[in-house]
Amino acid sequence: MATDPTTPPVVEFRSVTKTYAAGTRRAFTAIKEVSFRVDDIPGHGEFVSILGPSGCGKSTILRLIAGLLPQHPPTSGEVLMRGKPVTHPGPDRGMVFQDYSSFTNRSVLDNVAFGLECDGMPKMERYDLARDWIGRVGLDPVKDLHKYPHELSGGMRQRVAIARTLILKPRIILMDEPFGALDPVTRQQMQDLLVGLWRELEATVFFVTHDVSEAVYLGDRVLILSNSPGTILTEEAVPPPNRPSREMRREPDFVNRVFEISSLLEKLEEAAQHS
Amino acid sequence: MSPTPDPPESKPKSAEPTDPSLSGALGQDTEGNLPHRGMRTDRGRLARWFTIRDEPGGLERFLFGIACILLVLLIWHILTRGEGEARIVDPYTLPSLKKAFGSFHELWFDRALMRGAIASLTRVLAGFLLAAAIAIPIGVIAGCFPRFHAFLRPLSIFGRNTPIAALIPLTLIWFGLGEVQKVMFIFLAAVAFIFFDTTMSVRSVPGNYLDTAYTLGARSSWKNGLRRALYFGLAYALLAAFGLHWLSEAPQTIIAEAVDGKVPEQPSFLTQGAFWIHALLGLLVGTLLWLPVQSHQAISKVLFPLALPNIVNSLRLLFGLAFGYIMLAEVINAEFGLGKIIIMSQRIGPREHIYLCLMVIALIAFAIDRLILIIQRRAFPYVSHGH
Ligand SMILES: Nc1ncnc2c1ncn2[C@@H]1O[C@H](COP(=O)(O)OP(=O)(O)OP(=O)(O)O)[C@@H](O)[C@H]1O
Ligand SMILES: [Mg+2]
Repeated sequence: MATDPTTPPVVEFRSVTKTYAAGTRRAFTAIKEVSFRVDDIPGHGEFVSILGPSGCGKSTILRLIAGLLPQHPPTSGEVLMRGKPVTHPGPDRGMVFQDYSSFTNRSVLDNVAFGLECDGMPKMERYDLARDWIGRVGLDPVKDLHKYPHELSGGMRQRVAIARTLILKPRIILMDEPFGALDPVTRQQMQDLLVGLWRELEATVFFVTHDVSEAVYLGDRVLILSNSPGTILTEEAVPPPNRPSREMRREPDFVNRVFEISSLLEKLEEAAQHS
Repeated sequence: MSPTPDPPESKPKSAEPTDPSLSGALGQDTEGNLPHRGMRTDRGRLARWFTIRDEPGGLERFLFGIACILLVLLIWHILTRGEGEARIVDPYTLPSLKKAFGSFHELWFDRALMRGAIASLTRVLAGFLLAAAIAIPIGVIAGCFPRFHAFLRPLSIFGRNTPIAALIPLTLIWFGLGEVQKVMFIFLAAVAFIFFDTTMSVRSVPGNYLDTAYTLGARSSWKNGLRRALYFGLAYALLAAFGLHWLSEAPQTIIAEAVDGKVPEQPSFLTQGAFWIHALLGLLVGTLLWLPVQSHQAISKVLFPLALPNIVNSLRLLFGLAFGYIMLAEVINAEFGLGKIIIMSQRIGPREHIYLCLMVIALIAFAIDRLILIIQRRAFPYVSHGH
């Protein structure tokens, strides 16, 4: 993967440490001295899966990139985006959360159009775009349009969340266990959907998950974090998702990779329990 | 030979003569188990009464309510039946049903029940609207900016813990005996509570909505905010100008009507300086109060709309309270109003009117509550409301 050394990386962590409630008795260091860089691969973007034991600071890293409180600002070190420190959240870094975060007071259409509305796009225009995206994430662009989030299933809500994030064409997409609450079948459908959409956008994706095969299937690269306080343990390049999930999961190479990484994670979890 | 039937255990279950209607009435099935959720389809109506959280239909709820009213009236009737010594409660303490309802004609015409009710309602409405108009935007701001909340907290605590009764002498000193005193009494009684509930409603909106809004590009801009805040300013201007104008004239009109049936001539409001000053003041206050809210998309598009159903709900409950408070002010000093009718009935009779007034008050409060609930259901179809 050739990268241009003159352009700054899309995201770079320079020995970032985050201590919650620093300076109090309840101070807790979630991540320590985390350094990594993700370069922009022109015409491709990179899909980075993040794996690690529970509580090791995966969400913390994602929210630091997003610039969200209280993770932002880091206690020490630098979070850089295209060479500049992250100062505040913005629509160039879309985020899909694990818990459903569709605005309960807005219909599907208005949820998906939210970002465009904030940007001041006229109603007709943004509704047209939103309808298009509602169809692209596999929702019914007629029937589901005026439903409220409470009338949607978990999978449908995550489709809404993906549509309203991708409609803004962010260069960086942050996904924090977006499919964690879905059943295996829906989950695979959503993975294939995500791969398809990501190809079009050519964005850099950070994808946190607990599911090793999901991480291996989706990622170009898998970051594995150690126990808390989290540091980057290893980085593994994995084959890109160029075939449907069902096919790829059956190949021996894929199975071996998943097995390797799973046993590494298991060791980490065990170490955490004995420490 | 035993005359009593065998204990049921000694018989095979299938042969046991069971009366389904009886076991249904006891809320038990044929095997003596208590009913529970998910097992109700083949149960009788009575069994459902004893099922935890079994929701009745609208008509059934209504009938149960009617049953309560009938029961109260029946007890009242039994307590006041007969004459002299035969009565359980003497007529001085509690008039008979017939006498109480028989005096309605007099209450309606001689005591001008309708006019009194409208007067009371107007006072509450004016004071409450004023309190809401000021406390809601400030409450939203405090709900979003914890430092501002910390700053206002002493006032909020003070306001919510001041005894309502103590506000009456205070408002009498500050605002005199007129209409303004009653409106301000309601304002002072309600404002801290509306502020507090609004703040809490906004604070309890989950943080992930805010995070989502930010990552989708919610921005802050004073310029856009000012444009939208001006709409609020205009609404406030209209309310202030017409509201205050009406408040200063309505009482005289009502008194004049009551005295000689003629309405005095008034100069056109458009030529009155006060009208325009009030309008300007309203514009200024409204714009300023809503400017911080409208300047942040994260507030105007996310936090405020998400908190609004809760805010309206608390307004509905607080309005009921405020409607009760106004009687307090009217009992002490008023030219007219429901409270005035009550105190007159106690002093010069007929005492039956007190009971009727209490019922009328409950009815009006209930009607308003329903009205707001209907509006709530329409405005917020995505929230589940109570009955
Ligand atoms: N706001 C906070 N205040 C204090 N401690 C926090 C806060 N957020 C997270 N932590 C702590 O920091 C550590 C890392 O949290 P983080 O949410 O990043 O973990 P995670 O890797 O995403 O875990 P999971 O896989 O369970 O989602 C955890 O031990 C957590 O208890
Ligand atoms: Mg997490």
